[in-house]
Amino acid sequence: MFGFNIILIMRVEVKKFGTTLISRQNGREAFAALQTQLAALGEDDNLGLDFEGVITFSPSWGDEFLSPLLKKYGMRLTLINTGNPSVKATLELLEKINQMAFKVR
Amino acid sequence: MRSWYYSIDTMTEQELITISEAAEILGVSVDTLRRWDKSGKLSPVKTSDAGYRLYSRFQIELFLNDLFGLAKDWLLRGTEIPLTFYCSNSAVFQTRLIRMQDLLAGVKELAAIFPLIVAIAGEIGNNSFDHNLGNWPDTPGIFFGYDIYKRTIVLADRGLGILTTLKRVKPELMNDEKALEVAFTEILSGRAPENRGNGLKFVRKIVSENPIALLFQTGNAELILKKDSDTLDIKDSSEPFRGCLALISF
Repeated sequence: MFGFNIILIMRVEVKKFGTTLISRQNGREAFAALQTQLAALGEDDNLGLDFEGVITFSPSWGDEFLSPLLKKYGMRLTLINTGNPSVKATLELLEKINQMAFKVR
Repeated sequence: MRSWYYSIDTMTEQELITISEAAEILGVSVDTLRRWDKSGKLSPVKTSDAGYRLYSRFQIELFLNDLFGLAKDWLLRGTEIPLTFYCSNSAVFQTRLIRMQDLLAGVKELAAIFPLIVAIAGEIGNNSFDHNLGNWPDTPGIFFGYDIYKRTIVLADRGLGILTTLKRVKPELMNDEKALEVAFTEILSGRAPENRGNGLKFVRKIVSENPIALLFQTGNAELILKKDSDTLDIKDSSEPFRGCLALISF
């Protein structure tokens, strides 16, 4: 009668893949490494990517890592602590490339 | 204090070193230095009584300081470059880029923009590796040098150049100038088989919004970008070469 859904958020710290995130090759490897964690993500669960501690972020790495996540999870993907200027600028470009907006908190 | 600095400079200027020491500092072989002497590229300041070539440490430091000249010479003539500036693969580049990032992070005035400087250098350098993987015409890898005091970064590759690589997705491109314009302006999505290449748009955006300038050359086209520049300033280059050359100033 008072049933409700519990939505879980899986929080992933991006800095665990490195703090200088530059090349496509490394972005691809990071994406592949993330898949084992994502296997535990339920159908209704959300994914939160935390950029705290990332120093340099670039579109090449971001396109390999974030673009497929954005396409797969859409609004279930939330980006956190995106204040770093290179993170901000990269996200703007990736939104144009994918013609989709990120949910940023 | 001033005279103290002066005396150090004078001492450095006068300090003579052997060809082996000079080769070690430059990261090239002794044979290369002998060739450079014959060609006039870098000659010793004097010859000892026994006939050995002697260089001044100051002269070697000046030679290393001319990053743009060294990179351009490599592109135009294929001359050997000091190992300090040569990244044979992207892993070496990544390691050196992080070193530069650490140094830039220590410069107080750059606190707000150093991640952007590292990001654009990273994009330009990695573009070279991504676009030429398995297709390097001769020497693989890139030239990557920087001078924190002069606030410059130089990147170069002897790869295929932008026109050749962009033609894979835009066969209608006819010249270097047009290729350069497309590379810096058109966002291309879903570019298979060319699954890369939006990095230079990112570079343009960063440069136009920050106190950073860029000189970028490929083939016979040259582009100059700076803060608040809305239009692309692309012109013919007087010294065409195959590959790419970038000078970032900040």
